[in-house]
Amino acid sequence: MKWTAVLGIAALLALMAAYEWPKTKGKKEKTAFAAIAVLGGLLASWLVFYPETPGPTQCLDALYKPLVKMIENLTQERSG
Amino acid sequence: MVEKGRISAFQMGRMIYLAITPTAILTTPAITFKFAKQDMWISPIWAFCGLITLYAVFRLHAIYPGRNIVQACEAVIGRLPGKLLGALFLLYYLYLIGIILREYGEFVVGSFLFTTPLIVVSGSMVLVCAIAVRGGVEIVGRFAELLLPAFVTLFLFIIIPIIPDLRVPNMFPIMANGITPSLAGAFVLQTWFSELISASFLLPLVADQKKAKTSVLIALLMIVLTLVVANLATLMLLGDITGGYTYPFLILARYINLAEFFTHLEAIFMAIWVLGAFVKICVFFYVTVLGAAQWMNLSDYRPIVFPIGLLVTLSSMWVAPDLQKLTFSISTSVTFSAMTMFVIVPMLLLCLAWVQKRWRGTAAKG
Repeated sequence: MKWTAVLGIAALLALMAAYEWPKTKGKKEKTAFAAIAVLGGLLASWLVFYPETPGPTQCLDALYKPLVKMIENLTQERSG
Repeated sequence: MVEKGRISAFQMGRMIYLAITPTAILTTPAITFKFAKQDMWISPIWAFCGLITLYAVFRLHAIYPGRNIVQACEAVIGRLPGKLLGALFLLYYLYLIGIILREYGEFVVGSFLFTTPLIVVSGSMVLVCAIAVRGGVEIVGRFAELLLPAFVTLFLFIIIPIIPDLRVPNMFPIMANGITPSLAGAFVLQTWFSELISASFLLPLVADQKKAKTSVLIALLMIVLTLVVANLATLMLLGDITGGYTYPFLILARYINLAEFFTHLEAIFMAIWVLGAFVKICVFFYVTVLGAAQWMNLSDYRPIVFPIGLLVTLSSMWVAPDLQKLTFSISTSVTFSAMTMFVIVPMLLLCLAWVQKRWRGTAAKG
């Protein structure tokens, strides 16, 4: 099942490349396209196998922890 | 110049309006109610972050004409730190579209298409938006121009039929505990108001610069007005049970019953929501793509639209495991981070730019 998802991602990348590559002019643009597409493909495959990987939200939660705590307490006061 | 298309000031105002309002009337009433109770309709008036952000955007654009905030970063704090800060901006934008897309997907799956997988709903939205964004700013601008009247008509179509059933006593006592509850309720709305930073990316593309400022300020005023009306209608119809629903405004649409004939009008709300979310995601998507292309000094942004679309879809799946966690983070860490990135950072940039300008001015004189 998971490998089918990876196959799907690969097919998606292939479709994007087939559509965009002939139209793209300039080396820089081609490199940018390839770099972002490969990054997206890798991240997508990673998330297929490890969907529990801490995401950007957990990162922000950790960064703003004291402030988040404060709001949490305030919410409990109001609703309690 | 990466973007050759130009939009009118009028289109920009409409884009900004539609880039803020749709998700704000969907998610915020429930969260605002938790803090502000019967004062929830006052909360949208405290649009401080919107005003501060717009001030920073306009002043920065006056100092560096024709540059958006990512380009201004490089001019203010130097090439390398500027690139780093610009990258942070773009990543944050990517994260924010993820949040918006997830809100859209969760709403459609949770209220209408119960058995459709989330990825299908958000993936098809990204595909449609990618095609629009590939067409350039003019296309997105025209979509905003075209869809705004439909959006407003449908919005009024929900509000007007329920007017006879509104119970005014629900809003009393007004400001029983002073202004603090309404201020606390306004907290989560600051995310939406700070999203006005998108104006910084659209401003250099406006053909008639003189009218741009008025147009955006009118858009801000209309956003506040729409939110006040939406919150007021929700509050007067539902009263104390507002906080019990995830999407109180949807309940309003379900409530409509005209002569036993027009019932179950939530399809209208669905239409509003899809139209609005489409323009909103398009604007944010466009800003990200344009910013990324400028950041990498590309001559054209079109090649990276689809790869970034893939990243957007991934970001929407990655931001939260479920709706509860999503709503919780919107009311906490997302609001804080949006205020940091879109209000505090632009203000600091503006201060630095202003000091530099003064310093250079005296150096030239002396």
